[in-house]
Amino acid sequence: MKTIKIILAILIVLTCLAAYLSNMSGSHVIFGILAIAALKFIGISFFFMDVKNAHSFWKGSIIAFLVLFSITLLIIL
Amino acid sequence: MKKELSINHQKYKNLYYPPGGILLWIIIFLELITFGLALLAMAHSGKENPEVFHESRLLLNSTIGTVNTLFLIVSGFFMATSVWYLKQSNQKKSLLFLKLTMLGGFFFLVLKSIEYAHKIEMGYTIGYNTFFTYYWMLTLFHVIHVVVGLIILLLIHKGISKNTSTTIEDVEASAAFWHMCDLIWLLLFPILYLLF
Repeated sequence: MKTIKIILAILIVLTCLAAYLSNMSGSHVIFGILAIAALKFIGISFFFMDVKNAHSFWKGSIIAFLVLFSITLLIIL
Repeated sequence: MKKELSINHQKYKNLYYPPGGILLWIIIFLELITFGLALLAMAHSGKENPEVFHESRLLLNSTIGTVNTLFLIVSGFFMATSVWYLKQSNQKKSLLFLKLTMLGGFFFLVLKSIEYAHKIEMGYTIGYNTFFTYYWMLTLFHVIHVVVGLIILLLIHKGISKNTSTTIEDVEASAAFWHMCDLIWLLLFPILYLLF
């Protein structure tokens, strides 16, 4: 229970940080915003959805989707 | 009670019993792939028309997008807390947090409606340009998921409060669906509101 409270605080900080970063310019900003989105995605899936306690197949699938999506997006952008 | 939680965690270790059930996880991955492909197509279109996408992105209110993200994240936290209390056999607190979860979803829909009304008023409708075609299609598709999620949560709330045959598995499945709405929004928000 304490863990998900900490995760909530981190997610809120990361959301505000992403909004702040979007006002800046440069290619590193895109990387930063995507990295923050990926961290938030892992936070919700692993802790709120309890994937951290699931079979490694489901953990691997979430990570694989995220990595594939992020890399493809970075290639396109 | 700790023993019960431990049994649940052991159950999750089984490949065929992820939290929420395998069928729901198949749906979750299909949804993520669908939205993911649409977002990649949007990014590709944005690369071809960078000026149009940048100017259109600036027409969106990123503060509204950020607040809506916070609504969904906090709502997801309440959902996880509700499931936790139910596993502790604290039905009263579980129902309270389930109500708060729905309230978060309701606030999201209210803010989204205000944003939609403003966009329609300004003439930025689905046919305005390519960016807004993607914006309307992706966000409306997501809103449909949130509405369906709220209906499921309402039924689960009714089921728990009236002590019907609603099981912890049903609650976990509805929670997984609700968190899926969070996950989809976490992909949509940075690309629609922040990137271009």
